[in-house]
Amino acid sequence: MSLQPGDAIPDWLMESVRPERMRTMAAILRDPNPVHWDRDACDAIGFGKRTINQGPLGLSYMVNMLHAWAGPGCISRLVMTFPKVVLDGDRITARGAITVVREENGLRLADCDIWLEREPGDRPLVGTATVRLPA
Amino acid sequence: MTAAPRPMPPEAEIRAIVGHEFPGGIYTVAHWENFLLTECTGADLLPGGMVHPVVLFHMPILGANTTIGEMFALGQAESDYSIGIESYDWEMFHPLLEEVAYAIAGKVVAAERRVRPDGRPFDRIQFQFTVTGPDGVLAARTTITWHYNRQAHLGMKS
Repeated sequence: MSLQPGDAIPDWLMESVRPERMRTMAAILRDPNPVHWDRDACDAIGFGKRTINQGPLGLSYMVNMLHAWAGPGCISRLVMTFPKVVLDGDRITARGAITVVREENGLRLADCDIWLEREPGDRPLVGTATVRLPA
Repeated sequence: MTAAPRPMPPEAEIRAIVGHEFPGGIYTVAHWENFLLTECTGADLLPGGMVHPVVLFHMPILGANTTIGEMFALGQAESDYSIGIESYDWEMFHPLLEEVAYAIAGKVVAAERRVRPDGRPFDRIQFQFTVTGPDGVLAARTTITWHYNRQAHLGMKS
């Protein structure tokens, strides 16, 4: 893989964020927060009748993007912030770009900016990743 | 956990939770759990019994023998709605595998009161968990930073 700063990571698309996946996730996480499974609770706090995607699920879309690009097990570190919520029904694209390519302890690493995009300029999740590159 | 707002706790009570350790324990990700978890992400199962990294949110919490609800309560959250995420920091040293027993430890590493530019206070609480394989090698470390927003004392709607 010949890579340099500024190179884009291929997009990964979640065509529609599905509420039933949030419900399964809430059960696995033992997460009591009704915003992930009760549309009326979301309506009551101003989000309309759409449930709010769990933060880790949004993060997982970026994991999937990085795996599709550099292979399963490639991720060394993810640091993610959550400026906005992702709602059920949203069409979300995971995107990223390389900022640094470096070597550390014999490994070739890429530091990347990564984000989720709902529409151009609308980035509900923003973070960084360090990826182990194939030899 | 009740949805009714609670009064803002004294700052000293929040600072005092730094160093609080969860009981800790062992967590094994079963195949069924990894299957459902991976399906939720929209991806196919990873090869070789590798667990999807999204497990690094709940596995450390449950493996440390705590819960999201208990973590909310530890910081005296006003309600389930009052929690905001600052960041999740996941360090992955080795891929996690299905049906392997990992030792989990977790504690509160930071807790402090802050005030937003608009005057609204919140408590910034940081939890750190380690995931160690049966060979004693650290497999992952996660840091969760949440904001416990305090609004009830201002008479604001939660």
